[in-house]
Amino acid sequence: MRAWLYLIAAGIAGAVITTPALLVLIFAGGSFDDALFAALGTLMLVAGLAVVTMRDIIRCGLAMIVSFLALAGIYVIAGAPLVAAAQVIVYIGAISVLILFAIMLTESKAGPRSLVFQTQAVPAAVAAVVLFVLIGLGVAATDWGEAAHRVRLATDALARVLFDDYVLPFEIVSVLLLAAVIGGIFIAKREKEPG
Amino acid sequence: MGLADSLDAYLLLAGALFAIGTFGFLARRNAISMLMSIELMLNSVNLTIVAFGSFIPALKADGSVIALMVMAVAAAEATVGLAIVIAIYRNRKTPLVDEYDAMRR
Repeated sequence: MRAWLYLIAAGIAGAVITTPALLVLIFAGGSFDDALFAALGTLMLVAGLAVVTMRDIIRCGLAMIVSFLALAGIYVIAGAPLVAAAQVIVYIGAISVLILFAIMLTESKAGPRSLVFQTQAVPAAVAAVVLFVLIGLGVAATDWGEAAHRVRLATDALARVLFDDYVLPFEIVSVLLLAAVIGGIFIAKREKEPG
Repeated sequence: MGLADSLDAYLLLAGALFAIGTFGFLARRNAISMLMSIELMLNSVNLTIVAFGSFIPALKADGSVIALMVMAVAAAEATVGLAIVIAIYRNRKTPLVDEYDAMRR
């Protein structure tokens, strides 16, 4: 019975994700890239909504991984394959695992499992919708002077810029990461029990 | 219509993800949920940077480089943030932020 429910839920989720892609492909006359963009964008937003609304926090963490993966696909469509690879390695490989470990370390059975939202959840939802409308108006009203087509970035051009113009920020970021790791260990270290 | 070839589509997608992250940060009780919402917001900003980098010809590779830097800084932020949450959890035995009221009493 439960297995059937999961199967039906998976079917509904698949339909929700593929419907915009099919609409773009068939009715709007978009290319395959457009359909893929619609599908991955929908998947990313649905997974993001799942992250902020689901009760079980482990499932929130797993939905966050799905959202990151869809975003990596969007990076590939946008023409930045190296950023997509870094997204998979850094976000899915490192940050998600870190967050899942932190969830498991702070999971308490005694804590209340029923209330996942603050009392300010409804004003927060209103604020988020207003923020999205404002961003949408700003995007629609502004002429960015963009090119008509996206440019696919060659990796060697990126490497030249990264290790030529940006070599000082690169080194600073590496020092920052070292400091963050040492600081993280120091903060989370278990203190010695007195006596 | 060229959905994947319009900058506005990328920016609206990033705006929607940012709004979702804002809602999660303001509404969730669990400190780790709030950190996950911050990660979503950082990701949406990264998407904006990459989209600008691939649509504005004058930017060339700068967009992708800045996105990589943002990723590294996000990794540092996640490390320190989660360490702080774990340290607080050791003292207070709860990950819920509305029970961290030591400075209110």
